[in-house]
Amino acid sequence: MSQQLVIQLARFGDLVQTKRLLLSLCAEPGSEVHLCLDESLAPLARLLYPLVHLHPVCAHGTALARLPAEEQARILLAKNVPAFRELADIPFERIYNLNFSPLNYRVAGLFEPQRVLGHVWSKGQEIVGQWARLAMRWSSMRRIGLNIADFWAWHHVSPVDSAEVNPPALGRGGGLGVVMAGRESRRSLPPKVLASLVTALLDLRGDESLTLLGSRAEHHAARQLERELPGRHARVLRNLCGATNWSGLVETVGGLDLVLTPDTGTMHLAAHLGVPVLATFLSSAWCFETGPYGQGHMVLQANLDCTPCLESQPCTSQVACLRPFGESGLLRYLSTREEGHLPDGLTAFNSDTDALGQTFAPLAGPDPQADLRVSFREFLAAHLGLAGQGRASSVLHELAERLYTERDWQAPDRESSQGRWGQTFGGF
Amino acid sequence: MLPLYGGSLPIGRYCASALRQLGHLVEVFEAPDFYPSYKALQGLKVGTDRLQYLENSYLQVLSQAVLSKVETFEPDLVLAQAQAPLSIQALKRLKRDGVATAMWFVEDFRLFTYWKGFAPHYDIFAVIQREPFLEELKDIGVSNALYLPLAAHPEVHKPLELSAAERRRFGSDVSFMGAGYANRRVAFRELIRHDFKLWGTDWDGDTVLAPFVQMGGARMSSEDCVRIFNATRVNINLHSSVQAKELVTNGDFMNPRTFEIAACRAFQLVDRRGLMPAAFAEDDLATFASMEELQDKIRHYLEHGEEREAIAARGQARVLREHTYAARMQTLLDFTAQRLPGWPRPRARAQAAEGLTPELAADIEVLLDRLALPADTSFEDLVWSIRQQQGRLGELEAAVLFLDEWRKLYNKREG
Repeated sequence: MSQQLVIQLARFGDLVQTKRLLLSLCAEPGSEVHLCLDESLAPLARLLYPLVHLHPVCAHGTALARLPAEEQARILLAKNVPAFRELADIPFERIYNLNFSPLNYRVAGLFEPQRVLGHVWSKGQEIVGQWARLAMRWSSMRRIGLNIADFWAWHHVSPVDSAEVNPPALGRGGGLGVVMAGRESRRSLPPKVLASLVTALLDLRGDESLTLLGSRAEHHAARQLERELPGRHARVLRNLCGATNWSGLVETVGGLDLVLTPDTGTMHLAAHLGVPVLATFLSSAWCFETGPYGQGHMVLQANLDCTPCLESQPCTSQVACLRPFGESGLLRYLSTREEGHLPDGLTAFNSDTDALGQTFAPLAGPDPQADLRVSFREFLAAHLGLAGQGRASSVLHELAERLYTERDWQAPDRESSQGRWGQTFGGF
Repeated sequence: MLPLYGGSLPIGRYCASALRQLGHLVEVFEAPDFYPSYKALQGLKVGTDRLQYLENSYLQVLSQAVLSKVETFEPDLVLAQAQAPLSIQALKRLKRDGVATAMWFVEDFRLFTYWKGFAPHYDIFAVIQREPFLEELKDIGVSNALYLPLAAHPEVHKPLELSAAERRRFGSDVSFMGAGYANRRVAFRELIRHDFKLWGTDWDGDTVLAPFVQMGGARMSSEDCVRIFNATRVNINLHSSVQAKELVTNGDFMNPRTFEIAACRAFQLVDRRGLMPAAFAEDDLATFASMEELQDKIRHYLEHGEEREAIAARGQARVLREHTYAARMQTLLDFTAQRLPGWPRPRARAQAAEGLTPELAADIEVLLDRLALPADTSFEDLVWSIRQQQGRLGELEAAVLFLDEWRKLYNKREG
């Protein structure tokens, strides 16, 4: 039996997007898969990954941060020391350390560096593995992008088929669900804009039920939405913001026909459950990086010169990417699916999968980077040993020059294209 | 900051160890690790212009590495030795960032003249010679120069119980341990009538001395040097000179061996030095001022074991009292505090075990003990000490580092 550990200390959505890697590890014959995660997400992980052994640690802590320093130390040490001891005692064959975070590096310090992939701690030094370094470079070319679930999965030599990760999207009869906001406020539609979309969808689909989802923080926005809706829809509305625990959320989302959502953890949960998603991606959200995983989902992607932006930087365009979501043409497009109605600044994408992972195909609107994206995926497929070396082309050559650095070429690295297969330079 | 290479390398290590003994947190820049790469450049067989360019570039990279380390470690003081790879540009950057720098220049200023270009860039410049060196330093704008003679490190330089085999291997009536400088090569031809052993490097090419050179002239470890000092009846300590006209030069500074042999409670015959009277009383050491006196005293002391022991005991007591690296480092730090206003910058520091449950506090105390840290060690110093550990982290070590990073993440957000 081989024991494998995944360290995923990020948020709700990231936990769901770790699925392909976890499934790939579970599919290894005789493997026992462990997951180290924030304690707040353990109940959800038990529902999502019942076969995986969980190791909750205290990593998140907006509430803890308000406590005096001594109290913080007491709580974090009391919780984490036993959890770390338990982890250190298990003879893991490989450790997949996924997040580029100082917290992850410290957990990795519990293990022999040569067993750790991704983000390694060696003699007090943080080291980024070659695959993650490559991802950092392609992330600077924001418009191409690889789905983060696939990026994590490809730490594994042969992850499970992307089409097998989530069930194909299929409505469950529970009506329309609307996720009120994500963690990043600029990525979400304000209640007034959202109200027109919700009204159009309800009228179009004839849903008799409307469920609002979100945390307690979104309760007020949900009330505003309710006020904006026509009476016939407001009457069938259930506001569950802040009212569900993890199992309640899974049960609710799992019964819906369609989830209208920005880029949120709930969106990934719906995809995980095979519930169709209609996602609104604007501001820093880019569907090729974090779009809903699986087949049969739709994304309305803001497509201005400035998108995707960096959430950490202030917007100097008065969030112009929000405008097309409020235009009446969008409602007509959703009703007719005629491309001519789709407002400028939007592209509608349909989700699909290929050998590399999650893709999105344009249904309507411009997709000027489509060719470049194909080349990028060919480049990555060749890098990962999926298919030959791709077609010889000037674009592929340019990508190689841009994405490969001297260090990749010159210094041995366990996570390099050949290192993935246990090969080193000259290892015939 | 250790030098890339050279005889003063052990002194850097003794300084780090002594500072730790004094309760300070020390991070060592291991410059010798980079020396093989630097040397490899000389194997390129390229034009001299290119070689110089490459060597300078490599040294600049090392300076950048030092700056990165300073940025992460945030030391109160960067202590360098001559030949430590710290460029003027890097020294200027440290000055701009308010990081104090000190150089302990443990070389002869008359031979190693490069100090003229570098000394003014250090905040503190400690030397092993007095006048006219201190005056010359003042002339080029060095206002914080400190006379700081060499010393011994009693953790290493100590009396040893040697086995019979070790006594046979390292012992003799008379021996010398050191490099084959010109004056020594001539002087020691007069010692070969004794049961004589010659240890250390750079003795090749001398047919008279060759039969007495031990271990093929290999560089000896500090530990083996101590064995030699302990096993020898009369350790000769003749200060080096690059000329052979005057064999006993009556120079000023005292070499490390003066202190090291004494700290071992071993007996030495050392040539008199100008700065010796301030460090040792007349009867703390047995000295000589000429080759004739050396010959006479060797004969005398070989015959009078009780006198050897009495002098060695006094010498050792004096060194342990006044001439340890710990004492030198304390002097350096006191001088720095006196000369640099506001140094060291006060830091808000909570003790590592403060406010924890009794069980966790006990665990932290065990960890501090294992890391040889005092009980009142601050949380920040504990974090750095853990980072200096090799191999896998223990659960408490990982949890302490995790807590440190967690605070940086969340307190920044909340702040």
